[in-house]
Amino acid sequence: MILNETPVRTAKNFNINNIKLDSFSMPQKIEPFSNVILSKNGKKVKIEEDTDSINLVYGLGKDFLCQVKENANQKLKITIDENKKEDLQIDFEFNNKNKMLVEDIQIIANKNSKLTVIIKYTSNEQIENYHNGIIRVNAKENARVNIIFVNFMNDISNNFIAIENELEQNAKINYCIVDFGGKNSITNYYSNLLKDNSENKINCIYLGKNNELFDLNYIAELRGKKTNVEIEVQGALTDNAKKHFKGTINFKKGAKKAKGNENENCMLLTDTAKSIALPMLLCSEEDVEGNHSSSAGKVSEKELFYIMSRGFTKKEAMKLMVRARFNKILECIENEELKNEILNKVDERLD
Amino acid sequence: MSKTKLEEINRNIYDIKNKDEYDFKIKKGLTPEIIEEISMQKKDPDWMRKFRLKALETYNKLELPTWGPDISELDMNQIATYVRPKTTLSNSWEDVPEDIKNTFDKLGIPEAEKRSLSGVGAQYDSEVVYHSMREDLAKKGVIYTDMETAVRDYPELVKKHFMKCVPVNDHKFVALHGAVWSGGSFVYVPKGVKVDIPLQSYFRLNSPESGQFEHTLIIVDEGASLHFIEGCSAPKYNKINLHAGCVELYVKDNAYLRYSTIENWSKNMLNLNTKKAIVGKNAKMDWVSGSFGSKISMLYPMSILNGEGAKTEYTGISFAGAGQNLDNGFKVVHNNKNTSSVVNAKSISKNGGKCTYRSQVRINENAKGAKSSVSCESLMLDDISISDTIPVNDIRTDDVEFSHEAKIGKISDKTIFYLMSRGMSEEDAKAMIVRGFAYPISKELPVEYAVEMNNLINLELEGAIG
Repeated sequence: MILNETPVRTAKNFNINNIKLDSFSMPQKIEPFSNVILSKNGKKVKIEEDTDSINLVYGLGKDFLCQVKENANQKLKITIDENKKEDLQIDFEFNNKNKMLVEDIQIIANKNSKLTVIIKYTSNEQIENYHNGIIRVNAKENARVNIIFVNFMNDISNNFIAIENELEQNAKINYCIVDFGGKNSITNYYSNLLKDNSENKINCIYLGKNNELFDLNYIAELRGKKTNVEIEVQGALTDNAKKHFKGTINFKKGAKKAKGNENENCMLLTDTAKSIALPMLLCSEEDVEGNHSSSAGKVSEKELFYIMSRGFTKKEAMKLMVRARFNKILECIENEELKNEILNKVDERLD
Repeated sequence: MSKTKLEEINRNIYDIKNKDEYDFKIKKGLTPEIIEEISMQKKDPDWMRKFRLKALETYNKLELPTWGPDISELDMNQIATYVRPKTTLSNSWEDVPEDIKNTFDKLGIPEAEKRSLSGVGAQYDSEVVYHSMREDLAKKGVIYTDMETAVRDYPELVKKHFMKCVPVNDHKFVALHGAVWSGGSFVYVPKGVKVDIPLQSYFRLNSPESGQFEHTLIIVDEGASLHFIEGCSAPKYNKINLHAGCVELYVKDNAYLRYSTIENWSKNMLNLNTKKAIVGKNAKMDWVSGSFGSKISMLYPMSILNGEGAKTEYTGISFAGAGQNLDNGFKVVHNNKNTSSVVNAKSISKNGGKCTYRSQVRINENAKGAKSSVSCESLMLDDISISDTIPVNDIRTDDVEFSHEAKIGKISDKTIFYLMSRGMSEEDAKAMIVRGFAYPISKELPVEYAVEMNNLINLELEGAIG
């Protein structure tokens, strides 16, 4: 199965234009999924289930879109009224009776509204789960949306997610994405900075182990004047894990004084881990500033030695280094409990 | 402020058209019969004839690239792949026919030979018309000759290396090249010989609706060194011309090769060239590349660092004006321990031109201790141009130091203001900034080319400001 195409193709033999999953086949029959907890400002609530029809600009591919359109077993529509502020949390927990999740989440943040939402997927039992989701966010004029997206699926599950954002005048959307796994964890992320002064920040950490495969395809199109995109991705790979990072910042004509920055860094913790990056800058407008940087390498021997000379084992030193790298990204999460849970998960995955 | 209007770069000397006179021009198209005819005209040995036919089969099997610039306007049925000029190979400039000689004179080739080169080759359409080299180099065993002579006189050396570095199935236009190649240069520098003054080959395509498919094969043996310069140009016609050359470079252990290219094809040219180097233990391969001409260019020189401690450096600039789509870049494969690569690429786009930097850095499992640093910068001179950066970084082991950075943007208003407050005109200020931007590349070019590049920037910018 071929999916997650980049917006612009490059040479076929670079093997990065899309991802081919040989051993995966999409489930045809979707079982029900009911283990979802929705809480508003800390209290359990019910949320509207009728989402609007879906049309994605990019997405993972036709089959994944059709499955969500036709067979979604969870539909959630979150509308934040003008000038209102909300804190939400959505927990999807996979288990023996809830093995397949196909969800459609739609978020509309109206003028001057503020929303923080944590969306978390957990599969603690060692059962093969399947997740195919779509998250659509529309941030109207001056809205502020913070989304903390946490993927704690186990390393025998398949995780597919497509995210699309549309930003209007002065709107801001911040994402903190914690991607900790799945046999295949495939993300398509697209932001359309349509109107002037809109801003989108994406902070992402990923941590791969065993034979996990990550394919992250982040696309931001800047159309409005003085729009701003910041993409910061920090990752670590151990064992035979493999990661493809495809990040595209596309300055469209008319995006005068727009800025786009993208930084991707991958720590390779074993000599069998693999990292492929394609950080693209596409530009049809003169009056912009675009930067990207990408780096990869192992943990610095000197730094490891320094920590070990303080009495830590090599493994502990390594964990500390990874946690330190991730901490900067996790600063955007205010929920201390969740932050600690993520850091504990880092330790657990590196044991 | 008065506006200057200069739609096209003043190409004066490059656009000299000679009458399309030839001794033999193959009919247009690509069939086994045409390939047989080329082979016969070129008096190929049998192995080469068979090689060409096999390459044609491969060409027919391979797809056009599904990425990059649109080259659908290329119709091979409208291209004559072999044009033999009305002359034979000469080693005396006086014996070259008058009109061909005049063209190269105006391009400054014989003058450069006198002043700063130790050998020159000049190709006109499909055949090399002039080749010479300093006697002392010949005495040291250096071979610098046209490819046809090399196939005839050094069959074993050629057979061992010809299209081994760039195999015919690499991509469609390499297969095409394998089928119809003609002309080009062959250089062999024996062990330990240092060629301290550069050799230069100049390729000129005069005939309309034709292609140039020269093959350059350079072997720099152990501990030897060489600087090779390649220049290309053509007059402008209304119909498409095609350049699908192939450059194969073998840099043996502890050897050094610098390969400099100034490509200034006319703006009806599709430049689909392939260049690759295999670099041995502790050897170094440097690429210096200036890309100014062509309607479409797809050019990605490649270094394969096979030997332990092998190094490569790429320094390149592209300058795309109206109607140009220059898709250039660099590829490197780290295939051994402690190999290193440094890439410094720049591009300037203006008047609706499109520049793309496309690259691949691949650090394989066995390349422990590899280091790679890539930097690319793109400058946009107006809001109708396009500039894209599409780099792939493929890292397959942990013990590496890899970094990549890219920047895109326009000339800072503050800098222009600063220079204008010192009494400069806006045009001069912009030209100075662009020359400064290009300086890290131009300083690597042979001096006469650096001057030429600066002149090109001045000419191009006159049309850009208003």
